[in-house]
Amino acid sequence: MSKSKITRRKFIKGAAATAIAAPIALRQGGVAEAGAEEDRIVKAAKKVGPAALNGMMWSLYWRNYPGLNKEFKGKTGIYMEKVNDVPNLLIPQRAMAEAISRSGKFDFFHVESMMIPSLVAAGLAEPLDGYMKDAGFKLKMVGNFKKFMTYKGKTYAMPTDGNVCPQLIRKDLFENPDERKAFADKHGKPMKWPVTFEDEVELCKHFHRPDKDLYGSGSLRDKANSSFWYWQYLYAAGGFPFTDDAEPTLNTPAAQYAMDTYLSYKQVSHPEAAAWGSPQMIPRLVGGKIFSCQYWDGIIGKIEAGKFPTTGKMLYDMPVGSRFSGKLIHRAFSAPVMGIIVNKLSPRKKQAAMWALYMSTAKNSTEVVGHPTMTFHDPWHPAHFEKGNKTAKVYTAAGMKAVNRSLLITCPPPYVTGYPEFKEAIDQNLSEAYAGRKTGKQAMKDTQEKWAKIVRKVGKRRLKKEIPFYKAMMPSMDIPPA
Amino acid sequence: MATEAAIKIGEQATSRTHGIKMFKWSLLSPLIVLALFLMPIFLLQIYFSLHSWTIYLSTWWAAEYVGLEMFQDVLTDKRFYWALARSFLFAGVSTVGCFVFGFALALLMYRPFRGQAFFYILFLLPMLTVPIVLTYAADMLLYRQGPINGILSFITGLDMRFTWLANPNYAIYTIILLEIWNWTPFAFIIMLAGLSSLPYEPVEAARILGANRFQIFWEIQVPLLRPVIFLALILRFLEAMAEFPKTWGLLQGGPGSATETIPIYLYIVTWQAFDVSKGAAMSYIIMVIMIVIILAAIRILRREKSALDALYQAPAPGEGE
Repeated sequence: MSKSKITRRKFIKGAAATAIAAPIALRQGGVAEAGAEEDRIVKAAKKVGPAALNGMMWSLYWRNYPGLNKEFKGKTGIYMEKVNDVPNLLIPQRAMAEAISRSGKFDFFHVESMMIPSLVAAGLAEPLDGYMKDAGFKLKMVGNFKKFMTYKGKTYAMPTDGNVCPQLIRKDLFENPDERKAFADKHGKPMKWPVTFEDEVELCKHFHRPDKDLYGSGSLRDKANSSFWYWQYLYAAGGFPFTDDAEPTLNTPAAQYAMDTYLSYKQVSHPEAAAWGSPQMIPRLVGGKIFSCQYWDGIIGKIEAGKFPTTGKMLYDMPVGSRFSGKLIHRAFSAPVMGIIVNKLSPRKKQAAMWALYMSTAKNSTEVVGHPTMTFHDPWHPAHFEKGNKTAKVYTAAGMKAVNRSLLITCPPPYVTGYPEFKEAIDQNLSEAYAGRKTGKQAMKDTQEKWAKIVRKVGKRRLKKEIPFYKAMMPSMDIPPA
Repeated sequence: MATEAAIKIGEQATSRTHGIKMFKWSLLSPLIVLALFLMPIFLLQIYFSLHSWTIYLSTWWAAEYVGLEMFQDVLTDKRFYWALARSFLFAGVSTVGCFVFGFALALLMYRPFRGQAFFYILFLLPMLTVPIVLTYAADMLLYRQGPINGILSFITGLDMRFTWLANPNYAIYTIILLEIWNWTPFAFIIMLAGLSSLPYEPVEAARILGANRFQIFWEIQVPLLRPVIFLALILRFLEAMAEFPKTWGLLQGGPGSATETIPIYLYIVTWQAFDVSKGAAMSYIIMVIMIVIILAAIRILRREKSALDALYQAPAPGEGE
């Protein structure tokens, strides 16, 4: 038996090979890297001890979690024992009831990230950074999206659903040679992919054929969802709803432009759009009754997974933009971005935090987001967009590209304390204007006045401190790379 | 003997007093328990209405005392008055609608006939439908190209594309129609009970005297039914004032504020805008309005009952001379 001798030469060669191969292996073998991520969380979770959790989450979201819940229970003894099935729209109210009663009964709320400032102010949201540090976990989200989970520099939520709205256009109609010729004959220019809202309206007009049950635009215009689209128009116009001094700016030309844009889609929308939310619009969208819209990305998974008239017949990209500010700006909107917020008052908050972290790793979130049929959770983690990730099977490669581009330019609604009040006021006025009960100008004036009152109530000082964080959530680019 | 009898009478009197006492307590105790149960809620509500509290004030005891400012805020809020007006419109029209249809059905049903039980159940079904189920069913039925417009098109021979929900001018009337459909059985039951309990003699006498069916209905049955009619109208009106699931489920008070009634506005203020203090003040103001309506209703019912008692007790012509 000869003893192998480790020479200096052999050592240097081996070290060099390891240095080259290790990052490649880690990047390629996502599972190996992710496995380590989960192991670290499990190790930290074991230290805080087992617990049966009581969380609040809508069943449509919960249905992708039981497998992972069982897995985490097996490894740590921490698990969701009781799921309070409350629809998304009602969870903020339940959270507020908890803020009044301060019972500590619920361990976490699965709620939209826009509620973070209010829940922090109510003393209900537990910062997660300490737990992340203990578990060696780093939250990764596409682009600037991670800031949606933070408030004043602290992380308060673990994301579950990206919920960005890319552009959807009917491919079969858009690429139809006869349609293209008819458009060119009428407008004296070739039909092109729309760049601005004005371009989109023009295209929608061409395809708006109510007599054939085909409607130009399918972007929502009901009272509950009105403002999401409004923010997109405002941000793309270079606008922002507050000054640095916390004064509302809904009386500015950009705000008025956003309102005019919002109303300009009425001519190409379904006559019942004022009363239609997703339950009414989605069947029409997947059924091929809509030419174009910006819509939540889960619809891509739905369209491509089923056997609908639109399956394989849609084009996806980032939303159209605006040149109102003098330069072309594209903005998408993400709301509600759902996340798990741990209840600060819960005696099991440590365990709840560990549970939330475990669900948000690259590997585990892929299991949730990449479910073949349950597309309520949409992609958000950079790993979801990596080549070979199973999420692309659900959303298609083109769909994933559109979602990624949209996430790079996505924006939140006003991320400040009092958001529900601000939202209610603008929703009300947008809906009044859309229904023709107010002019767009009057609606903006009324919103401005109402917002000024809300600012006074929330406290200007508080808002002034929050606005820089809200501003920092805006995307760093106007046009994402192709 | 006399002493024994006196003792017996005394014992009976004591036992009776004890019985009355027990009866009073048996009635009062649940009320006391209920009051004790409700009291903390009322007190908390008073606290919120006199303090400015919102979710971002952290603990509820951190709220600032503002006196009657919240009440003033509500009473100077135009949207509140519009919501109140819509509530009265909604409750008024739907109450009349429910009553007219309910009474008509009761008139068809109050005399026994073969298969009456089947129709009875059939007419009661809308009331047994959970309002939110009705809401979602209506949502699908009332599309512009939905079955209701389809049926109307078939009947009229015209292409009916009525926008039942999205048109702000008609939306509230659509919900009123749903309310009428939902709650007509309530008026039907009350009116059927009223008609069935009417004495037969006055009707028979009128018939012998040559009165036709309309005269019997209008001059005999309706006056005798007045207390029942008022009871049906009052109960239905109060119930309609509180209608929430259909209006919220279908339109959340929209389009714009076209269907924003008081319960909707109260919900928006308290649970959407999280202005708990204003919501508390508003609920007290609404409570006062409802108490006034209820007191007026009780007065009307008392007056009607007295009038009916007087009618029954009045000597017939020629009697008591």
